[in-house]
Amino acid sequence: MTEIQNDQELLALFKEPTTKEQAFTSIIKKYQEKLYWHIRRIVISHDDTDDVLQNMFIKVWKGLENFREDSQLYTWLYRIATNESLTFLTQQKKRNSISINDDENGLSNKLKSDTHFDANKLEWKLQLAIQSLPEKQRLVFNLRYYDEMPYEQMSHVLETSEGALKASYHHAAKKIENYILNN
Amino acid sequence: MENKSTEILNELKAISPLLAAMEKVNVFIVPDEYFSDLDERILTTVFIHQDEKNNLQKVPEGYFDSLPDKILSKIKVEKNESATEEIKALSPALFYLKEENTFAVPENYFDDLSDRILNKINGKEREVVSISSVKKWWKYAAAAVITGVIAISSLQIFNHTSNSNKKEIIAASASIPDYIKESSQYKTPEKLNQGIASLSDDEIVNYLETTGSILDEETITKNLDAKDLPNADDYLIDENTLNNFLKKTDAESNKNIQ
Repeated sequence: MTEIQNDQELLALFKEPTTKEQAFTSIIKKYQEKLYWHIRRIVISHDDTDDVLQNMFIKVWKGLENFREDSQLYTWLYRIATNESLTFLTQQKKRNSISINDDENGLSNKLKSDTHFDANKLEWKLQLAIQSLPEKQRLVFNLRYYDEMPYEQMSHVLETSEGALKASYHHAAKKIENYILNN
Repeated sequence: MENKSTEILNELKAISPLLAAMEKVNVFIVPDEYFSDLDERILTTVFIHQDEKNNLQKVPEGYFDSLPDKILSKIKVEKNESATEEIKALSPALFYLKEENTFAVPENYFDDLSDRILNKINGKEREVVSISSVKKWWKYAAAAVITGVIAISSLQIFNHTSNSNKKEIIAASASIPDYIKESSQYKTPEKLNQGIASLSDDEIVNYLETTGSILDEETITKNLDAKDLPNADDYLIDENTLNNFLKKTDAESNKNIQ
């Protein structure tokens, strides 16, 4: 991936009708994998991730024209991806009439139905531990642990104060440690 | 997965040395070549979506200026076409939407709908006063016909009496029904009228039910004088029309009997 174009240049190109599509293609290429994994960790299955990813880019295309220069494209994309993923989970829950309390179980079952799932392997235990967390802590943990996102950026994505995010991450990591030690 | 940045790793070490020591393994598998054409697929999705939207939103220039004329001329030319053809010509979108049944109907709703409607109608009509008037009207129509039947039977018996001896009467009377034997006591029109007036509704209804064949609708209508009946359209306009008419005929029949 060549990063010759920074986000500001891409946004400027997007605003010109002649280079609009070219700029959009570059934005997709630049962020597709990061966003894919961010979504995948929330919705778990590949097919669902693919759906959410396509839907979120439809929204990006519509919203990019009104995108404010003062916010970062990177965090804006993560916010849309997060919201689309959570909306998707809510709709799926409604469709399958899973109660809110069963939410974690629903995602855990998705993990367990993976053909490669192995309950004895530490990496799968970690995934089950993450799914046992409350939604906000799960999001924070994933963004910090896997995406290595600075709290300052995360506060824009999740619209939460940095202090609250640090506390969430602390709680999440402790709970995961306990889960792994006791399971 | 790349190595954690030092800052993040140190942070995690402080919270959970166990987690910090764990190697980051990606458990999720992505189909081969998924990312190689992902951008193209996303673009296609976005632009297809965009095209669909454009098609719905964009209208040819001047379309709405000439639309009323177009619709009117079409209606004039194709006045006789069916409603389905018409809506298809006017708006294909609406035509296809017609196929979609938006509103749910309870299961088997239509199976007993007619019965439920009829029950409702019958239940209501019982409360309407005019029915009792209709019954009276039937009573007099029936009475008129019975009068005729009894009169004819009586006449035959009178004739018989004058031509034969008593024995024959007894022999004959053994084979004729009771009501005809009874009819022999109605020797004058006054007595006959009194006899009919003394009959109960039940007796008349019973008589009509058992001898319905000779009292078919045709006989009754033939014997009815329809010229005083109100115009059929008036029933529809004013529900009192029939009631008023029945009251009038009621009064007249009572006068005749007295």
